[in-house]
Amino acid sequence: MREHLRAIWEYLKEISGENAYDRYLTVHAATHPDKRAMTRGEFYRARQDEKYNNPGSRCP
Amino acid sequence: MNNGLRRYGIWVVVALVGALCWGVLALARGETINAGWLLFAALASYAIGYRFYARFIQYRVLETDDSRATPAERLNNGRDFEPMDRRVLFGHHFAAIAGAGPLVGPVLAAQMGFLPGTIWIIVGVILAGAVQDMTTLFFSMRRDGKSLGQMAREEIGLVGGAAALIAVLSIMVILLAVLALVVVLALAESPWGSFSLAMTIPIALFMGVYMRFLRPGRVLEVSVIGVALLILAIFGGGWIAESSAYAGFWTFSANQLVFALIVYGFVASVLPVWLLLAPRDYLSTFMKIGTIILLAVGIAITLPPMHMPKFTEFAFNGQGPVFAGALFPFVFITIACGALSGFHSLVASGTTPKLIQKESQVRVIGYGAMLMESFVAVMAIIAATVLDPGIYFAMNANPVLLGDTAQSAAQAVSGFGFSVDAQTLTNTAQAVGEESIIGRTGGAPTLAVGISQIFSSVLGGTALQAFWYHFAIMFEALFILTTVDAGTRVGRFMIQDLVGNVWRPFARTSWLPGNLVASALIVGAWGYFLYAGVNDPLGGINQLFPLFGIANQLLAAVALTVGTTILIKMGKLRYAWVTGIPLAWDAAVTLTASWQKIFSPDPAIGFFAQRAAAAESIEAGKLSDTLKALKAESIDDAHQILVNTTVDGVLSILFAVMIIIVIADAARVWYGLIWGGKQPDMSEAPWEESHLDAEGKEIEREPVGAR
Repeated sequence: MREHLRAIWEYLKEISGENAYDRYLTVHAATHPDKRAMTRGEFYRARQDEKYNNPGSRCP
Repeated sequence: MNNGLRRYGIWVVVALVGALCWGVLALARGETINAGWLLFAALASYAIGYRFYARFIQYRVLETDDSRATPAERLNNGRDFEPMDRRVLFGHHFAAIAGAGPLVGPVLAAQMGFLPGTIWIIVGVILAGAVQDMTTLFFSMRRDGKSLGQMAREEIGLVGGAAALIAVLSIMVILLAVLALVVVLALAESPWGSFSLAMTIPIALFMGVYMRFLRPGRVLEVSVIGVALLILAIFGGGWIAESSAYAGFWTFSANQLVFALIVYGFVASVLPVWLLLAPRDYLSTFMKIGTIILLAVGIAITLPPMHMPKFTEFAFNGQGPVFAGALFPFVFITIACGALSGFHSLVASGTTPKLIQKESQVRVIGYGAMLMESFVAVMAIIAATVLDPGIYFAMNANPVLLGDTAQSAAQAVSGFGFSVDAQTLTNTAQAVGEESIIGRTGGAPTLAVGISQIFSSVLGGTALQAFWYHFAIMFEALFILTTVDAGTRVGRFMIQDLVGNVWRPFARTSWLPGNLVASALIVGAWGYFLYAGVNDPLGGINQLFPLFGIANQLLAAVALTVGTTILIKMGKLRYAWVTGIPLAWDAAVTLTASWQKIFSPDPAIGFFAQRAAAAESIEAGKLSDTLKALKAESIDDAHQILVNTTVDGVLSILFAVMIIIVIADAARVWYGLIWGGKQPDMSEAPWEESHLDAEGKEIEREPVGAR
């Protein structure tokens, strides 16, 4: 039961984008280890602005 | 043999269960039939469609290739291109395609009985809707996530491409107007609903600030807080509705709400997204998924009986009081989203294809998510048909036919051939905490009454029925408003882009004057239709919903045309029927409906017949018999009808012409490819080897050409 709840929680984190920053850090460390990584705040602000400035369409 | 039995035995069982359920649905006699039969008929059909037809499309028609790198892998930039886990992407894609459409359309179509709508929702999704989503997703993925408009331009030609673009913009306007109309009709004269929906604005603002500055990126945390506040707001609404001091303040007429929505839409389009749109997006997504799961569980536990007959006489005589017109084509126009929805092709070409990890996953994401959407539509039809048909018609029939009181409504309903007494109508309204439920068209209130009956029989009993009703209203209104926000923004960007071609600075979305002008244009456009719909003497939903349905099916025709063209170019002519047959059907439905809306001499259906009657009345200075039969009341009504029908009629013509242009332009291309010996020019991205496995992990390889 606990494992199931844990899996659901992980799924929610993944789907809501809550752990996107952690993934970004991993990718960043692997690709540009010499450059400064964005802070959590900067990362989410940039991501949000980008998402809504190129709006995809959606269904009613 | 043994092996085959093991492999297919389970599918034989599924097929038998499905056939049994369909048989019971078709043959059962009696007053009611249990919703469980419908539920299992749907699930068994979906399973078979997914296992056999979708698999056939995947392996034979599209020939997905998992050794080929997807754009997410090749162009991975950690932002819009990024391989995403298929389960997560399924959730995102479903959240983007599931909206108010599959909840509203089936409710309206229930006036013809539950069977016509149900059959089209299930058969339509398996053979047409899910096929459109899956193929569009695949073709866009092979082209690095190009949009439907771009694909139309590249694969068909400039003319077809331009027609597709104009179609998308005009459809957007009608869509936003109809959705806003549904909200207005649900909230008018309801202090409870108005209050709880109004509270979503400060809640969203709070969430926006919280996510931007206090705890960036803590999406789950803030969503939990938001949903809790939302539920408080619903309880608060109950308190407001009871209180003599505040109830009056929060009671708005339909026209006041129209004005409020227009102002709100404009402000939301101009404000930065993080403040209002983004938090609202999270809130409505969680509410949407949560409510859908609750509804599925509720129906599965209660297995309620459905009271609506299989067919009503309106299926055959086309005289339905909810919307006029015969079963063919109007059931197919009305159901739209749950079975075949053109808007999905916009989602399936754009965001989702840039995130797919493996080509074969287009089946679960494209086809699978659409099956789920269809299942939502099936649940909507169940929720609408568990109601007593008398109540259903008293809520949904054109308000001009029902009159204002419970007595007049009960009388009108018996005129439709159903019975309900006035006391029942008053009691039902009381049970859900409303003054009246008469003539609450638009689908949302009916669905909410149905949901409240199902939920309260699981949890809370009659004491909580009013809460559940307003919970359902709030959930629909919330995500319709989110669509209105987002749609207004998309429309604004499209206008800025279009004008930007002529005058450069306008295209910059951050330029404030351009932002203001384009926002005003798009809000003004849907606001006009919203205002006209609310004040339409012939009933706004009755007049505008068919236009919305036609527009949506038109977009589906564009997507299926593009799909058929690409299949022919891929050398898959012998499988072109996979998109070709749905296209032929969809074109037949859309063009027949357009034809009737334009040319029908029956003033209940044809816009220009109505217009002629109005013109005649104005000339004569008194209402003609035709207009009186349509329940117009004064010569002012005739003036209004004249304007509305002109606009609606011209739009119908525009839509029909668009669809003919797109198909004709594509037919020219098909002819050239099949008989003209033309070489296909495909804009597919070149093959490149994939280095990811199905879980998105890097594949370990022996180094090639080792010494």
